[in-house]
Amino acid sequence: MELRGWDEFEIGSVLFSFNEKVENIPNVQQEDRSYSENNSFQASVAHWRVEKPIFNVDHCIDCFFCWIYCPDSSILAREKEVEKKGEKIMEQSMVGIDYVHCKGCGVCSSVCPTDPKSLLMVDEHDEEERVLANWPKKEGKEK
Amino acid sequence: MSKEIKNLKEYSKAAERFEGAHLLCPGCAHSMIVREAINATDSELVISSGTGCLEVSTAVYPYTSWDVPWIHIGFENASTAVAGAEAMYKALKRKNRLYQPERDVKFLAISGDGATYDIGFQFISGCFERGHDMMYICLDNEVYANTGGQRSSSTPIGASTTTSPSGRVSYGKKEKKKDIVQIMAAHGSPYVAQVAPNKWKDMVKKLKKGFDAGGPVFINAMSACTTEWKFDPSDTIDVSDVAVDALVFPLYEIENGTKLTITYRPKNVLPIKDYLGLQGRFKHLMKKENAHIVEQWQKDVDAKWEYLQRREEAGV
Amino acid sequence: MAEKMELHEVEVWDGNMAASHALRQAQVDVVAAYPITPSTPIVQNYSQFLADGQVDGEFVMVESEHAAMSGCVGAAAAGGRVATATSSQGFALMSEVLYQAAGMRLPIVLCVVNRALASPLNVNGDHSDMYMGRDAGWINLCSYNPQEAYDLTLMSFKIGEDLDVRLPVMMHQDGFICSHTAQSVRALDDDSAYKFVGDYIPKNPMLDFEKPVTYGSQTEEDWHFEHKARQHNDHMNSFPVIERVFKEFKELTGREYNLVEKYHMDDAEIALVALGTTVESAILTAEELRKEGIKAGVVSLRVLRPFPFIQIAEALKGVKAVATLDRSLPGGALGMLYNEITASLYHSEHRPLVTNYIYGLGGRDMTIGHLKEVFKETKANADAGKLTVPIQQFIGLRGPKLTFY
Ligand code: SF4
Ligand code: SF4
Repeated sequence: MELRGWDEFEIGSVLFSFNEKVENIPNVQQEDRSYSENNSFQASVAHWRVEKPIFNVDHCIDCFFCWIYCPDSSILAREKEVEKKGEKIMEQSMVGIDYVHCKGCGVCSSVCPTDPKSLLMVDEHDEEERVLANWPKKEGKEK
Repeated sequence: MSKEIKNLKEYSKAAERFEGAHLLCPGCAHSMIVREAINATDSELVISSGTGCLEVSTAVYPYTSWDVPWIHIGFENASTAVAGAEAMYKALKRKNRLYQPERDVKFLAISGDGATYDIGFQFISGCFERGHDMMYICLDNEVYANTGGQRSSSTPIGASTTTSPSGRVSYGKKEKKKDIVQIMAAHGSPYVAQVAPNKWKDMVKKLKKGFDAGGPVFINAMSACTTEWKFDPSDTIDVSDVAVDALVFPLYEIENGTKLTITYRPKNVLPIKDYLGLQGRFKHLMKKENAHIVEQWQKDVDAKWEYLQRREEAGV
Repeated sequence: MAEKMELHEVEVWDGNMAASHALRQAQVDVVAAYPITPSTPIVQNYSQFLADGQVDGEFVMVESEHAAMSGCVGAAAAGGRVATATSSQGFALMSEVLYQAAGMRLPIVLCVVNRALASPLNVNGDHSDMYMGRDAGWINLCSYNPQEAYDLTLMSFKIGEDLDVRLPVMMHQDGFICSHTAQSVRALDDDSAYKFVGDYIPKNPMLDFEKPVTYGSQTEEDWHFEHKARQHNDHMNSFPVIERVFKEFKELTGREYNLVEKYHMDDAEIALVALGTTVESAILTAEELRKEGIKAGVVSLRVLRPFPFIQIAEALKGVKAVATLDRSLPGGALGMLYNEITASLYHSEHRPLVTNYIYGLGGRDMTIGHLKEVFKETKANADAGKLTVPIQQFIGLRGPKLTFY
């Protein structure tokens, strides 16, 4: 945010989370909110990362371990259309990573229980397609 | 309302009220605990934090990571700040002046162990004696992490901190950790519990009990600190798992000041050596000359576990 | 609903009782307090009002003054009317949070019953606590007697809560001499008093869940200076609101208050400047001296912060010599009144001679005899056209005469 003069902000150095009046915030997802410029959601910590997680949906069992333990609210769990017994239904799923807020700690990959893992930590500059194409095979009981 | 959370699929439907791009370290357990706590309820929350890692990382002007009303005053007074807000809520309710009278509101203070065990202890004790309808969560990482890793009265014996460093003639901190859970239970509060974020199911159950208790509730939350405990950021959950399985952080609750229940019993109890070995702050304890510290500590852990079990059996 | 109280046209109240009734009549939402001599009766009286159903608000009896102000900040940020009372060591213990209250722009009213600061311990009145807190960013109002304590406490809410001000307010009265001395007080009836103060006007309340707000953010070198500057600007610009509230109060009660009060100053040749109860003794002294043909006047600051820099020079315009009386140990300097008033006079057209008297520490009496001595020395300065005594003198002190410069 650009720096401002002393007469250009709210008194008491208070900050507001949203631009508009909000209702029922515990049930309104981030994409449906009107964040103020002062909400850290509007900032990025992507430059903190040395490694980044890559998500491979093919192995994911939607256990949400990564979601509960991510310290940076960066695992996106949302309703997604899935096919179950030939029917299309909306189901809560792990849908990906919020790379604006992910710090690359590696917790998600560490707690991911699948074999092979559905989340892998790779060099920040590695390309997603390359990593997905070279995803490790099942390792068997090791951990 | 506090929610009945049966599985992570349900839990994960909560829309975040604690936003990313805060400045906590990668892999920090503080934010795991905060997320688990906030996402365990649909109620409106008023939160206060004392000075510490959480506070200095989540409201650095011009950014806030809080989607709920939040206040920080000083190091010591997070409890009293939220108690003041709770008093105002009661007054406005009585006078029919609440801004949104239909909403269910919970008052929550979240501070570190420095703010809880040490500088803010008197304030918390006062709030609990007065019986404010609030929950106090201590993010217990056993050190003043925000200011560079100085010892607190929660730091365990033998830990090397910047004010109790290990050295040629010292094995680190000389004093044992203060038992805050028992002290808070002695206030006769309706609900006191120890939790660990890696045991999320145990934690949400306790949060629900706490949010529904209708009185001052104290939760001591183990918060593994990658920076000061000195382990890799990706290992936060692993270290936490070993901590509870080695019974260094036993998970239990105390209702109405007396009724103690153990809420998690490790299938295989690990020796505390396994726990100490994972962390740089205890590296020097692995030396032969410090073996007696580890030995004594193991005895203390065993004795504490024995004590907790006996109290549980006795139903007191 | 709280029960209303029937008051007599003239009540016999001490300063503490006067302040307690003002808090009751303002229908404060939350009082978080911790008792300390000599302000204890404010808290006790308020407890009794509560016990008798005459107060609706919450009363939080905390475990320390630091907690009292912390609770007040939490409550005020939540969004309602808040007040408390303290003195001396309790004030000192609060001091961390006094700065926070001002920085967060929370219009808390603090009834300060002035008392000495230890060490050595002393429970009596002087202005050490007031002086200690004068840079905390609060509006500071000063009273001499229970009537004024009552009036100014009511006005404190209206001033601090004004949307153009939004700052906390301290209302000072002298320990024991004012706080424990019963005098006639003409109070407003409950309805008129509340109507004068008005309903609390919310501003960024935490309890408004439609607009979640963060209080107490950290501002480092990029922002802190601007926020503090804004606070100072609004503090400096609160004079018009203070004067408007004084005017409205006069219209309602006939009792007049000014930023700077002047007594017998129209033709005064010499003047004495003091705060609190001493002003009343000084007025009596000036009146006696006038019988001897000495044109003595008295000036006092009703508002210590913001400091009425222009008005004080204006009030002293035309006098030849001024004595400034400080009831607080200056701690290695000249007294605060001396320094601040001299600074304002430096820019006035003719600069009177200014001296500084330190007096009354720990409740030591300031007698008419002492005041006469001060006036007479000031007169000697005026007559000589130069200082005939040292700039700083201690008065009413045993032992060898203590003076500096
Ligand atoms: S690497 Fe860390 S911050 Fe990034 S998504 Fe995984 S757990 Fe979250
Ligand atoms: S931890 Fe692994 S399997 Fe579980 S939801 Fe996350 S990515 Fe999917």
